[in-house]
Parts: sequence; structure tokens; C-alpha cells
Amino acid sequence: MGKGMKKTKTIVVGVGNKILGDDGVGIHVVNQLRKQVKNLDVTLEEATTGGLNLLDIIVGYNKAVIVDAVRSNNGEHGVVKRFSLDNFDTMHSCNPHDVSLIEAIDMAKKIGENRIPREIVVIGIMMRNIPSEFSECLSDEIAMTVPKAVEMTLNEIKKDNMRKISS
Amino acid sequence: METVTIDPITRLEGHGKISIFLNDKGDVENAYLQIPELRGFERFAQGRRAEDMPQITSRICGVCPVAHHFASTKALDAAFNVDPPSAAKKLRELMYMGYFIYDHTLHFYYLGGPDFVVGPDAPPAKRNIIGVIEKAGVEIGKEVIKHRAYGQKITAILGGKATHPVCGLPGGVSKGLNKDEVKEIEKMVDSCIEFAKFSLKLFDEIVLQNKKYVDLILSDPYQLATYNMGLVDKNNKVNFYDGQIRVTDQKGEEFVKFDVRDYYKYIAEHVEEWTYIKFPYLKAIGWKGFKDGKDSGIYRVGPLGRLNAAEGMATPLADKEYNRFYETLGGKPVNSTLAFHWARLIELLYATERAKELIKDPEITSQKIRNPVGEPGEGMGVTEAARGTLIHHYKLTKDGLIDKANLIVATTNNAGAINMSIREAAKGVISRGNVSNATLNMVEMAFRAYDPCFACATHTLPGGMPLEVNIYDHERKLYKTLRQNL
Repeated sequence: MGKGMKKTKTIVVGVGNKILGDDGVGIHVVNQLRKQVKNLDVTLEEATTGGLNLLDIIVGYNKAVIVDAVRSNNGEHGVVKRFSLDNFDTMHSCNPHDVSLIEAIDMAKKIGENRIPREIVVIGIMMRNIPSEFSECLSDEIAMTVPKAVEMTLNEIKKDNMRKISS
Repeated sequence: METVTIDPITRLEGHGKISIFLNDKGDVENAYLQIPELRGFERFAQGRRAEDMPQITSRICGVCPVAHHFASTKALDAAFNVDPPSAAKKLRELMYMGYFIYDHTLHFYYLGGPDFVVGPDAPPAKRNIIGVIEKAGVEIGKEVIKHRAYGQKITAILGGKATHPVCGLPGGVSKGLNKDEVKEIEKMVDSCIEFAKFSLKLFDEIVLQNKKYVDLILSDPYQLATYNMGLVDKNNKVNFYDGQIRVTDQKGEEFVKFDVRDYYKYIAEHVEEWTYIKFPYLKAIGWKGFKDGKDSGIYRVGPLGRLNAAEGMATPLADKEYNRFYETLGGKPVNSTLAFHWARLIELLYATERAKELIKDPEITSQKIRNPVGEPGEGMGVTEAARGTLIHHYKLTKDGLIDKANLIVATTNNAGAINMSIREAAKGVISRGNVSNATLNMVEMAFRAYDPCFACATHTLPGGMPLEVNIYDHERKLYKTLRQNL
């Protein structure tokens, strides 16, 4: 976002690699939202990495909704779930060249960053495996989750907008 | 035979696993790292428009988008038989310095450095950036964040976006710099030079003045006498963006120097059945298994590989540090895996000094930034990614579409050496079946030094990098597990 542009209260970030099949589902969800979100006070963004880069993107917003593929550890596949960031202490970014979002946030707080979103929600599309083969397409099973993920993300945005209207 | 498995449980099932095999005496015999490898790129690329490749390949890896972007752009220069104007090359290189500034800063302060700054014996929960701040002070944390952001800002001003640059075109770049941008960049670069000097001073105070750490760097488990590889300029000085690929031997002498267009004459790839990763080696020497020494074709890339493969740095302050590096660590080549960290900081200083030279160059504001392309053919491009030599090779159809694509990425170049480093580190902490509690730390330090970029590096989910050590008896039954971040 350029200087002087008005920031919205809420940001939705679709995370993933759009040339890695189901891995890019978060981006597909954000692309759908671009068509549906017209009058709501929200910023839609994409990110390919977590950790520090993701923190850079969400700083300054009241609320961040992160839409991403999540590997399930119990075989769940094609299910959409809502997590608060605190629920993620047993899940991992698999990237040895970055820190986790939680660590990035801890670090930012430590040096006095006070613009970290008060609420960070993850809309996770559960899958057994994150793909490792290049493709721009979603599998049928994961493509079917997109409407649900869009709906759940919209609920998050609306909640925030409602609060703003009533306050 | 007993098996010790160290498993950075990634979200890619069956990948990113370290297995350590013990012999019947309970000593380490072998170690293997299974790195997640993305597949099917050649098929994915086939039939696409060649000029889309710099954007597409920058998405292969969320960690090295700039390195892929320019290795790809340079392969297209060659494939379209066009030499970009000198201003365009300088703009590309300046952007490349921004990438090195943020990438090396991130690695030293957040990832590799904490092992030293906080201490290799410190609990994993402390060996991170928070631990660094607790030890070195909050002000340092602010400087780290500021200068990593400067590196990204420089990259973004030149590339359109820091994460997925759009400026590289065959024959040049799409955007030049105006005078205001030059001023803005110069101010950031000046600050980055001071930050790099400070970082080396910090390394000196905390690591080099501590005999225990120096002894650790020079200790046997972290030595590996492989060949070394990196790009050099015409004076054999380290260059990140362009030059010839130089390989030096175990005595630090030149073994071979070649243009990227001949890479396949010098580099071959070995396949092992337990991993998708191919192991590059020097063709003239041959694949002799996971061994170091002059009879094994395995080589190292990345900061230490580059410094060893060169005869110095092309900027004054970095060159001074380069000489001090070899004086302190016993002459050339330095074979200590843990010396990667110091080498990385010397490169950070070089990147800042080189950025200053480029931004002060009157040609940097030139508007002659692209030359017309020729007929499509075949081309190779090479850059030094932060973690090592990166090669893109494309063959185009007569309509300018991709017919064939081959990439050799940095972590792949280091794959053989990483396996050996893990094995040697494990030997230092496992003997006669006794698995020391330091195993996780020592093995993690060995592969972390390379700053490996696993192909799954594209995601968001919180949590530190997990490690799991599974120890099996000679019948491969699990009898002990060590874990962190799980």
C-alpha cells in the first residue's frame, strides 16, 4: 500500500504458492473474494511466505485473516477450519530460512512495535499432504472447499465491519 | 545397525528427514538428509512463453525470488542472443545487493547467528532472535529490523515488488531509477554499510574473542575438505551477479574456471534411490560417494564456497575482512562449516559497499536500459543465490516458447556436503551408542550453517523449525526419541 492511502481495519491474506497445485488454495480464495467483496472495509493481499514477510503485510491492521493450506495430522482432507493464532503452537512452517509468524510477532513486540493486529485468525484448508508437484490447478477435492473458505472468511470480515458500524 | 532419525517434520510428508546410521559398535557410520524436492518443473514450463519465466521461476521458492528472477533473465539474455546495456546490468546488480542485504541479515540474526550469539549450549527456546536481543540489547533488534527492511525496500524500488520482482526482461530491465530514488537508496545504503560493519564487530566480540567458540569452529566434526565453487569477476574476486564459475581445490588453488554455457561439461548429477534430490559433482573427478578430499567430486557453494573459490572481495572493507578471515582460521581454504556464518557477514559488508559503488555510478540513472532481442535459441544463466550458485538453462522453440528447462539450485549444489556435515557433526556427539543430548544442537548447527532452502519454503504456519531424533537399535526398533519444537 502506497503512502497516504487510507488503511482499512481488516486485512485478508491468502498464503501459498499458486504454481504448486493445492498449496495455492489461499490465493484462489482471495481471488474469489476480490469478486465478492465490494462495499466492505477490507484489504485483500497475497503472500508466498510466512514469518517476517507475512508480519510486514499485516502490521497496522486491527485484524488479520490468514487463509492457508494446513497439513492435518489426523488424515483430514478437504475440510475448512478456523483457528486463532494461539492454536498453532504445535504446527510449523517448514521453512528453515525464516522464523515463524509467532516468533516474528514476539520479536516485533519486544522492540516496541505496537501496530500488530489485535486479532489474527487463520482459515485453514486441511489437507493430508501439501503437494510437491508444479501445477496451477487445484485438485477437485480442494477446489470444492473454496466456497466454504470464502464464506468463513467473509464472516470474519463482516464481524469486524459490524463492530465498526455499531461502535 | 542402529538408526538415528532427525526429522524436521515438515508439512511435506516423508521429506526433510535426517537419518543417522550407527555401526555395530554404536558409532556413526552414515547420515542422510532427505530434502523436499519439488517435481515436474520441466513439464510445467514446457510450452510457456519464454519471457514469462523470470516471473514464474521467482515463485518456485518464496525465499530466493530475486536469485531465480535474475538467473532466469540472464538465461533469456543468452537464449535471445542479446547483451543488455551496461546501465541495465548495473540496475540488476544493485537490486541484487538489496536482496543479499536482507537475506544475509535475516540468516545471521534470526537463524544461524543465535547459535553463536546466544551460545550453542543454550536451550533451543533461547537460541533465536529473542535470545539475541536479550543478550545484545533491544536497540540491536531495532537495527536488525530496520536494515532488513532497507534491503527489501531497495529491492522493491528497483524490482517493483520485493517478493516477486517484475523488472527483468531479456535484454535489460523494464524500469530505471530517477534522482529522488537514487537519493533514497543512497541514504539506506550508507546506513547498511554501518550496520554491516557493526555486525562484524559483534561477531568479533561475541564469537572470535571467545576461545571456546573459535575452538568449536575449528573442531574436527565441522571440517570438510571438499572442492569449492562460486562466481568470480575477471580478477577472481567474489561476484554475486555475474562472471565465471570458478572451482578451487583442497589447497585453495584453481581447479577449473568456466562459463555457465559450459556447465554440463563440468558438472554432472548423481542419483540416490532414497531421495528425489540429485547430487551434483565435478565430472572430471567423478562421484565417489559421500566423501571429501581431492578424489571426490563433491563441492561446496554459498558464502564459504564463494570465499574459498575466489582470491578476495572487490570492495576495500570486505577485502580487509576477507584477509583477516583466512589469517584467523589458518589460511586457505577454510574448511569449517561453521565459518559460513563469518563468511556470510563479510559478504553482507561487500553487498553494502558494492551497492554504494553502483548507486554513485552516474550511469545508474541512464534511460538506456534495454536492447532489442535476437532470434530465440538456447541459453544458460547463472547467479549466486544467497545460499550458492544457481543455474537456469532453457531451450526455446522458434516461436519463443519453452521447449526444455533445467535448473540447478543452490541447496542442491550443497546437498552432498550437507549430508557429510551432518554425519561428521553426529560423529562428534554419538559414540558407542551413547547419544549425547547435544546431538540435536550440533547436527542442527551443521546444516543450518548452509542456510539450506528447502523447496517447501512457501508457507505461513507458525512454529519454530522442528527436529526429531529417533534412535533405533540394530534391529531398527525405536528405543529413544529426542525432540525440539514439536
